[in-house]
Amino acid sequence: MNALLQVTGLNKRFGGLHAVKEVSFALQPGSITGVLGPNGAGKTTMFNLLTGFIRPDAGTVLFDGQSLTGLAPHQIVNRGLARTFQLARPFAGMTVTENIEVACLAPRVRQSGKPRERVRALLDQVGLGGQAEFEVDVLPYGDLRRLEIARALATKPKLLLLDEPFAGLGAAEVGPLSDLIRRLHKSEGLTIFLIEHKLREFMQLVQEIIAMDFGEIIALGTPTEIVQHPRVIEAYLGTAQNDVSLDPGAGLA
Amino acid sequence: MILKADWIAALLAVAVLAAIPLVFRSSYIIGIMTVALCYGMWAASWDFMSGLTGRENFGHSLFIGAGAYTAGFLNVNFGFNPWWSLLAAPFVAVLFSLLMGFPTLRLRGPYFALAMLSASAVMQNLTIIFSTYTGGQDGLNGLFPILDSTLAYYYLTLGILVASAALLKFIANSSWGLILRAIRGDEATCQAAGINVTFYKIASLMISAAIAGLGGALYAHYQLQVGPDLFTVVLSINIIIMVYVGGMGSIYGPIGGALFLNVLTETLRGLSEFRLWVYTVVLVFILFFLPQGAIAPLWRRIRVAFR
Repeated sequence: MNALLQVTGLNKRFGGLHAVKEVSFALQPGSITGVLGPNGAGKTTMFNLLTGFIRPDAGTVLFDGQSLTGLAPHQIVNRGLARTFQLARPFAGMTVTENIEVACLAPRVRQSGKPRERVRALLDQVGLGGQAEFEVDVLPYGDLRRLEIARALATKPKLLLLDEPFAGLGAAEVGPLSDLIRRLHKSEGLTIFLIEHKLREFMQLVQEIIAMDFGEIIALGTPTEIVQHPRVIEAYLGTAQNDVSLDPGAGLA
Repeated sequence: MILKADWIAALLAVAVLAAIPLVFRSSYIIGIMTVALCYGMWAASWDFMSGLTGRENFGHSLFIGAGAYTAGFLNVNFGFNPWWSLLAAPFVAVLFSLLMGFPTLRLRGPYFALAMLSASAVMQNLTIIFSTYTGGQDGLNGLFPILDSTLAYYYLTLGILVASAALLKFIANSSWGLILRAIRGDEATCQAAGINVTFYKIASLMISAAIAGLGGALYAHYQLQVGPDLFTVVLSINIIIMVYVGGMGSIYGPIGGALFLNVLTETLRGLSEFRLWVYTVVLVFILFFLPQGAIAPLWRRIRVAFR
């Protein structure tokens, strides 16, 4: 099977810090993959490299068989690779509907006339149908996360990158959002790549995990394999000891 | 959404402006109002780019001066028919906007604002350095009027202002305007939504420059003279003040602000040395108590009643 995303030898330095070091991996179409790693492991930098917000020093990214090297962020979105931000960044001073309308104007999905019906469907899909005419400034954080996802979905992506979708959410909000992501993966067939620190939900959601530390990939595998991997345990808990093992169901957080 | 009340208010405002010279029948008042209409074009065009996208332009006078001097050169130095000014001035102003926009609008941060500020100051000095062609401090004199009657010229200026405002408002209400407001909200999110932010910023600066340059040419053919003061930072700042007083991002508000402040300046002329003092107090009062501006927020409140 041809990989949807093929990353080879990706590198990025910020001065003396080697933020992303020789990162290579592939994502299969229809997969749901997670990135695991302590703070500062280079996860968000890698997302920024994939989406064109930062230029890599070296390495290639093939998406759907085509190179993304040198493309601007908006061009990458229009190839079908969308993302959400770690901190929700809505268009302040605009309504929920208007926020999504903007993404419906991307060349990839633009149609003549007002995209009212598409916006309506997208908002219903993420559960924001009731807040359509609200100003985004009054939305609680959990709704802003849904808005982020709706905006990304509006560009009809083949691959969706979610940067900590559960960050800042209360316990009651995590479950429904987790269900939404699962639904997007299962029923829409969307390929999903996500960073998350809330391990309980993360482990249940993903099929494969890429574990990173200090900018490098230290392990690849299924959730069960990853939590038993000595280098992952070392990265999270210091030097590995024989009596330490992690239960994927219990989570670390 | 445009309500019926908006149309009625717009028609009423145009009718009042059209009636002023018929009621007062004074060439002095027609003159003041012609200049005020030019300021209206400058304020509206500033608002279209900077008010909607939030990328402040501190050197709008660059486009005004470019338009006015284009009119001056063509008419005085080369003897072109003055009507050509109305075509050439926006064209030259757009060239300047490309020169400024391409290097600075690709970047985020204050580069655009600072580059505009310095470019207008540089142009002001260049008009003095190249005085053989520009007339230096005295500027270019002896432009021909476009129309012989000042009354007819007032209506020409009013017609062009109304057409420009209608065009800007139409774009601002379209999906294009939605994107400009989104750029104001968050540029990175706009890119993540697949929008080519740089394209929209440069294109709106071009439109803004075209209308400012056209206003500059109309102003030049009213004064029959152009001078280095058309490139000053003071002019740019005055325009920004008019936009703030009118209400940023509304297009019609800044036009109202420009008309109001021009008329206020003239009304206060009788106070001689206290004039600036009173003018400043009025400004501080408006900006302090109505930080969103006076005209556009006021109309937004009124129109709700007509829904």
